[in-house]
Amino acid sequence: MRTEREQPWRYLAPAALLLGIVTVYPLAHVVWLSLERRSLLDPAPPSFTGLDNYARLAADERFWNALGNTAYFVAVSVSLELVLGLAFALALQRPFRGRAALYGIILLPWAVPTAVSARMWEWMFEPDIGVLNYVLGAQVNWLGSPAWALNAAVLMDVWKSTPFVALLLIAGLQSIPQDLYRAAAVDGASRWTVLRRITLPLLAPMILVALLFRTIDAFRVFDAIYVLTGGGPADSTETLSIYTYKMLFQSLEFGYGSALAVSVFACVALIAGAYVFLLRRILQ
Amino acid sequence: MLSRRRFIATLGAAALAGCGRPARERGATTLVFKHGKLFGDPRALRALIDEFERAHPGVAVREETLPASSDEQHQFYAINLQARSEAFDVLAVDIIWVAGFARAGWLRELGALEPGAFFDGPAEAVTWEGKAYALPWFVDAGLLYYRKDLLEKYGLAPPETWHDLVGVAREVAGRVPGMHGFVWQGKQYEGLVCNALEYLHSNGGAVLADGRVVLDSPQNREALALMTDLVHRYRVTPASVTTATEEPSRHLFGQGRALFLRNWPYAWRAFQDPSSRVHGKVGIAELPRFPDGRSAPTLGGWQLAVNAASLHQEESKALVKFLTGEKAQRRLAVAYGFQPARPALYRDAELLATQPFVGRLARVFAAARPRPVTPQYVRVSQVLQSDFSAAISGLRTPQAALAHAQRRIEAILGAD
Amino acid sequence: MRVLALALLAAYCLAPFLWQVVTSLKPAAELVSLPPLLPSRPSAEHYVAIFAGHPLARIVANSAIVAACTTALALALGALAAYALSMLRVRGRAAVLGVVLAISMFPPIATVSPLFLLLSALGLRDTLAALVLTYCTFSLPLAVWLLASFFDALPRELYVAARVDGCSALGALWRVVLPLAAPGMLAAALLVFIFAWNEFLFALAFTATEASRTLPVGIALFPGLHEVPYGEIAAASVVATLPVVALAFAFQRRIVEGLTAGAVKG
Repeated sequence: MRTEREQPWRYLAPAALLLGIVTVYPLAHVVWLSLERRSLLDPAPPSFTGLDNYARLAADERFWNALGNTAYFVAVSVSLELVLGLAFALALQRPFRGRAALYGIILLPWAVPTAVSARMWEWMFEPDIGVLNYVLGAQVNWLGSPAWALNAAVLMDVWKSTPFVALLLIAGLQSIPQDLYRAAAVDGASRWTVLRRITLPLLAPMILVALLFRTIDAFRVFDAIYVLTGGGPADSTETLSIYTYKMLFQSLEFGYGSALAVSVFACVALIAGAYVFLLRRILQ
Repeated sequence: MLSRRRFIATLGAAALAGCGRPARERGATTLVFKHGKLFGDPRALRALIDEFERAHPGVAVREETLPASSDEQHQFYAINLQARSEAFDVLAVDIIWVAGFARAGWLRELGALEPGAFFDGPAEAVTWEGKAYALPWFVDAGLLYYRKDLLEKYGLAPPETWHDLVGVAREVAGRVPGMHGFVWQGKQYEGLVCNALEYLHSNGGAVLADGRVVLDSPQNREALALMTDLVHRYRVTPASVTTATEEPSRHLFGQGRALFLRNWPYAWRAFQDPSSRVHGKVGIAELPRFPDGRSAPTLGGWQLAVNAASLHQEESKALVKFLTGEKAQRRLAVAYGFQPARPALYRDAELLATQPFVGRLARVFAAARPRPVTPQYVRVSQVLQSDFSAAISGLRTPQAALAHAQRRIEAILGAD
Repeated sequence: MRVLALALLAAYCLAPFLWQVVTSLKPAAELVSLPPLLPSRPSAEHYVAIFAGHPLARIVANSAIVAACTTALALALGALAAYALSMLRVRGRAAVLGVVLAISMFPPIATVSPLFLLLSALGLRDTLAALVLTYCTFSLPLAVWLLASFFDALPRELYVAARVDGCSALGALWRVVLPLAAPGMLAAALLVFIFAWNEFLFALAFTATEASRTLPVGIALFPGLHEVPYGEIAAASVVATLPVVALAFAFQRRIVEGLTAGAVKG
């Protein structure tokens, strides 16, 4: 057994090494870059500036605007996905003929590249010749008005991610013991009571897990908005990832752009920490 | 740390060069010429390059194309030039990049321009601190397209001022149901800056003057106010202009649903297609101006430059001179309908005979104004895009948008 | 009532695709106005154009190569790591899995700039290898996490028995654990493949030419300096979507299993 005790690390090492190179090292490096004044366009060599970039960030209204847009996008899309996903899960949980085919269909929005779906939605959102306005008989300037554009991106995200939430919740529903439902039926409980007293409390951990995945994913949103609007109009759809990308790869400001990147990381870490804390409380 | 990275980069580049390039002919020099996709048959450009090779024995030229998107090309060049890559020798640069690339020391200085050989706009844009860092290749500039048939029907003349345009557009739109007055490019992107500057410049306004930010001026306020009024007050421009890039605006006009269109010369070819609904009904004019200003189309276009890290400086310079020379520009204009950067060619009989439309653009290019020439242009443009977009979508008043942009651009240039 | 709800759900998921298919079949002249909703006559012109006029075949091949290599690499290294975590009794197993989970939540935008500098220094920019390497940031955590949960479901006695029979640790993995966990391996492979096929940000930042462009980026940056060919974009989107549609229908059970296994463990 002695050999066995020594071996596990050898199996872990390749994955750990690779992950170290592509995640841990870059993360440490991005923190370092964020302390530098460094622009690819600047002929002067990079210089260490301490926390200057973070001071600039605190005073940067475009950063706060992007943070606000991101928070709005996350809050609205994730809550809609949860409500719709729960409805779908309840409708789908019992077996029926053709369920496999329907599963295939509801996997589609999730499985298609976001950049590709965004192109499809961009085409449907087109104000003059788009099918959405045609079907609704409306004249909505979906992607062109500051009031609508971010909501249009939310709409696309809800379409794309609700099936994923529904699938997770179905798995959660199936792990609830059927005895509980039978007992409730014997007691003559209404469907609403069953949902409130049995389904939701027992589903709570799975709901939290789904929320965790979706919140973090939505917070990182990039592809959809890059393709749909590029951040406009009037920066009304510029999220943190989009702003960071523009700062890094269009303005070529690697120092300040890295400070933005670190801020995204810090937000995601905070969110994940909060969820894990909640999840622990619930499971205890 | 840095020097080690540079060392590794050099090693990597050497390894790549070894496997990526086809075996060189012995003693021969291979120049790599990077450019965006050209429309039409690539053979016309290749034939020119073959001619250059014959005139320079021992020099071979290989073309490598990049995606058409200007942002993508900017990213590619910046990254590679910054790493002092030797992987390409001659490159085609967008007019707005020259100053930034030149200040960074990435482009070879090409000496003084022959006076009068190129249009003033491109000549200004390729010059940084008194020296040329690229030579103009093609020019582009905003044009006003109008429905000749409708203006004739109602006995109206093409507008000379923006106010004329509003008057004409309202009159015709009132008589033809479903007809938009004037469509242009209002999405938050580089094209919006091109459009908005045409109003500012044609009212005597500017963004920068002698290195100072002069955005928040009475002329600019009046100009931007008129631009936003087109949408919100006069309603000659549909609100959906805030999503429009070149193509959606061209489609609206091409469907016969707009009286006026602001676009680049490329749109002309599409309207000449016999199956187009507006075939034979389209006229072009210089963009309107304010009563006290001059028509000021925004200048676009591509220039050729030499990578400062190229190992073949003299050969590369010769190729740039050759391709931007009169003969080459004439040939490319005839083959592709692209617009030469040399005014003399607009009097050339062969060109006028084969591309009569190009011949009509000389006045437009002579009047064309570059976007602010500053090494920080990309960042300045991001501010302008966002604040112009805010004004056009009604989120900020023109006055507030200009004041806001003024402050933000001052911060960018001040920190520089 | 229920049937109606399910039909609505299916329509909701499918409608955007169907519209894309319709668009891709419309002749160019009919694209710029609505109505008519349906093409007067279906036309294959856009499909011909994308394969004749653009390097789409090359881009599709790039996507396939990157996704396949990413999957192979992630499964190979992921299986080794998961094996150690599930069968070989690693001290600090919970901590290791926690770190893996935390890494899977990294926002890619946070690491894109140093990765970019790293790849440039290695001379790997604009290569397929760069994508396969950086895709490990999400593919490896996913594979480790999923495979560990599938391996955990196997009785450890099997492993012990194999060792007693004289198998080496590696032999036990190869001959006993992997065959039994094949459905789990398939589920993990499908998820990694789909994620790699769809990845956008790294592909956008690290590639510059058609030599290494992948489909999502190719479609997002569809060529045209001024022109935007809607019909061709629609046709290319249909082409990009087909492989994942096929996978989704053929393996929907495995994919759902993979998706939920990842979550249930959390």
